[in-house]
Amino acid sequence: MPVGKRRSSLIRSPQFSSLIMFIVLLAVFAIADANFLSPLNISNMMAFLPELGIIALGMTLLLTAGEFDLSVGAVFGLAPVVVMLLVQNGQVDIGVALLAGLLLCVAIGAINGLIVTKIGISSFLVTLSMLLVVRGAALYITQGFPLKSWDQPGFFVTLLAGSFNIGSFRFYTSLWWFVGLSLLAIYVLRYAKLGNWISAIGSNRNAAVARGVPADAVKIWLFILTSVLAGLAGMISAFRISAASPVAGTGYELEVIAMVVVGGTALTGGRGTILGTIVGALMLRSIRNGIVLIGVPGLAYNIFVGVIILAMLILHALLQKNAARS
Amino acid sequence: MEVLRLQNLQKSFGSVRALKSASFTLDEGEVVALLGDNGAGKSTLIKAISGVFSIDRGEIYVRGQKVSIRSTRDAMDLGIETIHQDTSLAPDLSIARNLFLGREPVNLKWLGVFAPLDLAKLRDAASALLKRVGISKKLDADALVSTLSGGERQSIAISRAMQFAAKVIILDEPTNNLGVEETHGVLRFVKEVRAAGHSVLLITHNIHHVFQVADRIIVMRRGEIVAEQTVADTDLLTVESIITGADMSALLKETRAK
Repeated sequence: MPVGKRRSSLIRSPQFSSLIMFIVLLAVFAIADANFLSPLNISNMMAFLPELGIIALGMTLLLTAGEFDLSVGAVFGLAPVVVMLLVQNGQVDIGVALLAGLLLCVAIGAINGLIVTKIGISSFLVTLSMLLVVRGAALYITQGFPLKSWDQPGFFVTLLAGSFNIGSFRFYTSLWWFVGLSLLAIYVLRYAKLGNWISAIGSNRNAAVARGVPADAVKIWLFILTSVLAGLAGMISAFRISAASPVAGTGYELEVIAMVVVGGTALTGGRGTILGTIVGALMLRSIRNGIVLIGVPGLAYNIFVGVIILAMLILHALLQKNAARS
Repeated sequence: MEVLRLQNLQKSFGSVRALKSASFTLDEGEVVALLGDNGAGKSTLIKAISGVFSIDRGEIYVRGQKVSIRSTRDAMDLGIETIHQDTSLAPDLSIARNLFLGREPVNLKWLGVFAPLDLAKLRDAASALLKRVGISKKLDADALVSTLSGGERQSIAISRAMQFAAKVIILDEPTNNLGVEETHGVLRFVKEVRAAGHSVLLITHNIHHVFQVADRIIVMRRGEIVAEQTVADTDLLTVESIITGADMSALLKETRAK
């Protein structure tokens, strides 16, 4: 591909338009409120970002393969609750409890994946039901009360929710998790054999199967991955705020899907971009934060978030049409 | 030389006998057309050969060796490549990535599915292939398949089959939904495939196309092979009447006599 052509396709790419939109938003917020770019506020945004961002990485791969998962928010709530119950009531070692929590996520993801691929029910319905089951389980086993999370300093707390200062910025270790997992996801989707399979499955499942690609197995593993990442994010969050609430993560599934599609990944599968998802995650985080700062009333701010997401999607659709025409 | 031989293939779905009994052979460098109305059993037959499902009874021989085909991967490994109507390519992937889908060249093979694609090799091999199969319109190996025309997609799918040195290439309605010019392009391509020594099993509704490229015609009705003739020995009207079943008995006798 000649350089000029490559450059124009880069400019037309959904990641690029998301990035421009993100920069514009940052500028607007920064002008409207000087505190937006203050170290404290940036540190605040960066504390929340990885928790949803980590789930969004798994969701991007899953969406690229043509499926999605509505149960991530509920898993985000259940996993840390189970861990804390095991530690507090079961006297289980924290490390073992964390492992058990992640294994539970593996099981939830595997059930989602098996029902979707082997019985052939759409992932929308399967994971919607799973959302209810998982959220219900979290509420029932806690009787609706939040649990005090593990707060004794130690290896796992540092690993999941430790913090460090760079200048006047305060970052959590979760940011490293997000950075590391992002790099891995970029590698897998763009450069590994598996990424080729994931895109092919989402683009034309029958074609992939006809070439010997194990489409069902790939999808099941992606459901498991997404579930595990949601559980991990829930544990990070619970450790950071020292509380495990059975209603934590309510509504996260839609927020995460919004991050992914705003970044330019197609809801219909086949086209996924991790870089876009990172921009999408940054964008939604800063929208939520910036809107509060510039004084939009709290009850009104979902209106703004919705409008901005719609605007992004319309922009992507128009660019796509343009590209198809040329 | 015989490449593929089917003996008494049978397949039922519940109480429906989709394939009652099918036997025929395919020789090297031969284009055989498989004709028949909807529901005649053509699809079932090619799905059995390409490993989409396994047969209930009967034998399949590849170059004289008895084989069992249980998956599409088995069929591919035996050198049987099937190109389905419009389901052969992933539109969101580049030509190069489609050409090697499922057989990606990788570095660090021990990483399994996580192994990095050998992108340089992928692109070079794809470009060389596009050049060799004479897709003259200078297609870019990095171009997305979604930007190609229907005829170009068929050509890409067929050249992918050729690239893996397939002994048998099964084309399922390759000219469906194509314009006149593109159809001619694909038919020309089928002749080139034969010239390169591959055998082709061509499934189509269009009898005119059959007379342009096929050496031999096999007609199916209700799960059975009812006629088998070389193109030189028959004509369009005769074949048409066999397909629809008009005056079938007389023709069957004629066929058996041969």
